[in-house]
Amino acid sequence: LPKRQSGVTFRKACELAFKRSIPPFFEPLGAKPFFLKNKEYVSMLQNINPFYSSLSLSALILFPLLGGLFVSFITESKIRTIRIVGLCTSFITFLYSLFFWLEFDNSTPKFQFVETIQWLPYSNINFVLGLDGISLFFVILTTFLVPICLLVGWSSIQKSKKEYIIAFLVLESLMIAVFCMLDLLLFYVFFESVLIPMFIIIGVWGSRQRKIQAAYQFFLYTLFGSLFMLLAILLIFFQTGTTDLQILLTTEFSERRQILLWIAFFASFAVKVPMVPVHIWLPEAHVEAPTAGSVILAGILLKLGTYGFLRFSIPMFPEATLYFTPFIYTLSVIAIIYTSLTTIRQIDLKKIIAYSSVAHMNFVTIGMFSLNMQGIEGSILLMLSHGLVSSALFLCVGALYDRHKTRLVRYYGGLAQTMPIFSVIFLFFTLANMSLPGTSSFIGEFLILVGAFQRNTLIATLAALGMILGAAYSLWLYNRVVFGNFQPNFINKFSDLNRREVFIFLPFILGVIWMGVYPEVFLESMHTSVSNLIQHGKFY
Amino acid sequence: MFDNDFIALLPEMFLINATILLLIYGVVYSTVHKVFEPLVRNVAWLGFSSILITLILLRGSPLTTANLCYNNLIIDNFTYFFKVGLLLSTACIILMSLQYFQQEALTAFESIVLMLMSTCSMLLMISAYDLIAMYLAIELQSLSFYVIAASKRNSEFSTEAGLKYFILGAFSSGILLFGCSMIYGFTGVTNLEELAKIFTAPYVLRPLSDSVMLNSADASWSGVFMGILFIAVGFLFKITAVPFHMWAPDVYEGSPTYVTAFFSIAPKIAIFANMLRVFIYSFYDPTWQQLFVFCSIASMVLGAFAALSQNKVKRLLAYSSIGHVGYLLIGFSCGTIEGIQSLLIGLFIYVLMTINIFAIVLALRKNRFKYISDLGALAKTNPILAITISITMFSYAGIPPLAGFCSKFYLFFAALGCGAYLLAFIGILTSVISCFYYIRFVKIMYFDTPKTWILYKPMDREKSILLGITLLGITFFFLNPSPLFLVTHQMALSLCI
Repeated sequence: LPKRQSGVTFRKACELAFKRSIPPFFEPLGAKPFFLKNKEYVSMLQNINPFYSSLSLSALILFPLLGGLFVSFITESKIRTIRIVGLCTSFITFLYSLFFWLEFDNSTPKFQFVETIQWLPYSNINFVLGLDGISLFFVILTTFLVPICLLVGWSSIQKSKKEYIIAFLVLESLMIAVFCMLDLLLFYVFFESVLIPMFIIIGVWGSRQRKIQAAYQFFLYTLFGSLFMLLAILLIFFQTGTTDLQILLTTEFSERRQILLWIAFFASFAVKVPMVPVHIWLPEAHVEAPTAGSVILAGILLKLGTYGFLRFSIPMFPEATLYFTPFIYTLSVIAIIYTSLTTIRQIDLKKIIAYSSVAHMNFVTIGMFSLNMQGIEGSILLMLSHGLVSSALFLCVGALYDRHKTRLVRYYGGLAQTMPIFSVIFLFFTLANMSLPGTSSFIGEFLILVGAFQRNTLIATLAALGMILGAAYSLWLYNRVVFGNFQPNFINKFSDLNRREVFIFLPFILGVIWMGVYPEVFLESMHTSVSNLIQHGKFY
Repeated sequence: MFDNDFIALLPEMFLINATILLLIYGVVYSTVHKVFEPLVRNVAWLGFSSILITLILLRGSPLTTANLCYNNLIIDNFTYFFKVGLLLSTACIILMSLQYFQQEALTAFESIVLMLMSTCSMLLMISAYDLIAMYLAIELQSLSFYVIAASKRNSEFSTEAGLKYFILGAFSSGILLFGCSMIYGFTGVTNLEELAKIFTAPYVLRPLSDSVMLNSADASWSGVFMGILFIAVGFLFKITAVPFHMWAPDVYEGSPTYVTAFFSIAPKIAIFANMLRVFIYSFYDPTWQQLFVFCSIASMVLGAFAALSQNKVKRLLAYSSIGHVGYLLIGFSCGTIEGIQSLLIGLFIYVLMTINIFAIVLALRKNRFKYISDLGALAKTNPILAITISITMFSYAGIPPLAGFCSKFYLFFAALGCGAYLLAFIGILTSVISCFYYIRFVKIMYFDTPKTWILYKPMDREKSILLGITLLGITFFFLNPSPLFLVTHQMALSLCI
């Protein structure tokens, strides 16, 4: 396994460098200070050098926050410095998060890199951070998308440029915290606090006057759902006396209580996914948000809901999960078919992608609730793939909007003649969106269908229908925008993608192909955690 | 015995003497020189420092637990922390009103003296241990309040506020006194400790109790119950809980802004302390709980819905404080230790946020800051202040990780702990609804294109320091909440045991 080895060598190199440089500073006599016990000595060394024994998740969370703090002290006029500092911060965070992948031990289902920081020791609530095969890739996806968001806003953001950088850096650390948090109450805290920067991003840098309505809808829908989760969490806390997930996983609730708690959690996560009756906020928020906001929204915030199901609802309430599986299937199939049909008749580019996101995310819930290896792994993979593909599609729309200042499909046509590079990239992501074999979505959807077929053939068939509809709207959209008659409405100057934009798209393309051609790299980290999840809930 | 009383009451006595000296100073100075404007500031600074000295005396007091003046007053951990909180918030309000006197050319140094006077009475209220002592303290506080509500003599609104407050307040004080006299009539005692013995007697101490035995079938029981009901109504009126809230929006809007700040902070602290002592300690009985549950639900619902259509800032803040009283009453109606603790945490955070927002309201002035829409261009003209307002508003709305969330989370936890699911559920619903008007501030500042550009005068140093401290408190409270939790737990324990 070359991957693991490189990680180990890197770590060894760091340790070696560390041992050569730091100890003489502390140990003038070449031995450890006599007054320290061996354990204390090691923990002291760990504090000085994060590479000494393990990576620190709290450092990963704090780093973007510190970057944001640093940026806030630079004056607005030095905008170039601000942007470079912001970009470097997020990029270093991305590199740092990759080390977690390198150091990740695939052979254990336990939480790794676990850290405990005391918060309310008296009430037994502490910061517990940790990663496992389920959450690892979401952290990396987050750190991957934020530098892209900063690059997207490089020249298109005209007002409050400094605040833009700060908002995204703060958002980044909050999102990383959500994915790492193993404490129920603090998960809720970060889950909700993501609302504040996102509300501001939609409201301040959104495009039209309707953005206020969109921001309000986003805020109130999510808040309304998640306050029920807060009640459920408090009930759990009251019953068990702890909110530590690792302890709660060993707790068995009675079936009635499980059903009650499951519904409360569902109210929160269903809004985020979004499931069908509460999906209205999503197209609104997507359409009105700036491009980078849409990228974060589609790439990460939607995953919070499905991640929540996977992390909390399924393992903590296994009986209620089985009880509600038909309900989830029904809602998801309705959502897939209904939103796919809705997508076909939309005329706003962003709305089309937003509705197709809803369809894909409901694919994810079907896979997740098929409760077998293929289904759950497929759903995680589809989440990652959707994070790349729909983000890239939003970036495509953003690139078009920057040039043509409209998102209505009828004003576009014949872009193949004026924007050839764009057309190729857009074609690639359109095909990825309809899950062509060889792209990442195919692997995800295929695994989901395999998993769902084992549970319920009808559901698998209906979900597969969604794939056909997906192909219909994707191809038709591409047809309308790129081919056809050239339409020079009110525009005299045409330009293809510039170098910065191509470089933005490049990692997306690589990621999609990598995940589509050799998904085992990603799947091998999930196997143990996912099978542990299934064993734990006795779903087999 | 009396020596100890002197030692224990030194802070209160110092404050009373300082107040009287300040009054004399003001009267002498204002008749000698004809320049009033610096006098107000002068008196305010002196008042501020006398409050700080009171704080030091309180801190240095050798006695921590004692019953004073023939069991009329009590000091323990509970009263100590409440007094510290009260003195600190009064000091903050004096600090933030300094610039106001200058700008409004308000000459009434008496208002500072009256504020100190009411602070004295609130200190006594916190440590009252007898119904008579409690009533007297409340009366002194209310009388001072009626006058400072009307202290802006050239404003019709202020006069109206004072008058309204006086008539309704006197009425409620009458009800309170009537309740006390009924209790006295049916039980023969006014001391809270004796009352506690009587009330717990049927359940716990039946053979030990030598005074009147109460049982629910008894005729005297219904009389006592009516007495409790009247006392509760009197208290609920003073903290603006819902069926008795009518005066609050008008009084809050009409009074000068620093007085509004004072009204929405200081009496809440003192009256909640007193209520906890009276209801949880002495009348501990499930019968009155339903009354508070009802008031809590009504306050939350009205606070959420009535504020939706308000355009004036002070009126909106009045309704928001009514809503917050509803949330605090959740903790009160639980009656458990967690409930008391959650009330105290909620009260602390409410005071923190209210000091912050009123400092802003006082700071934003050119001619006025009356309507919410006046904030329109603030994000461009004064970005730091705009961020402060939005953080405070998000905190009011209870969005994590800000301080407001911590208070709501613990209140709901207490409610679930004692089985009050309805309260928690309605609390959740109303906090979503009230979110709507809190984030309207953010919307007006950041999202809307401003119609009017109002340039506000820069604020003075005192207010900016105050704002900085409270903002840090609100934002970073989340990082280390355990000291407050420990302190409030100690207070709740010393009340209940």
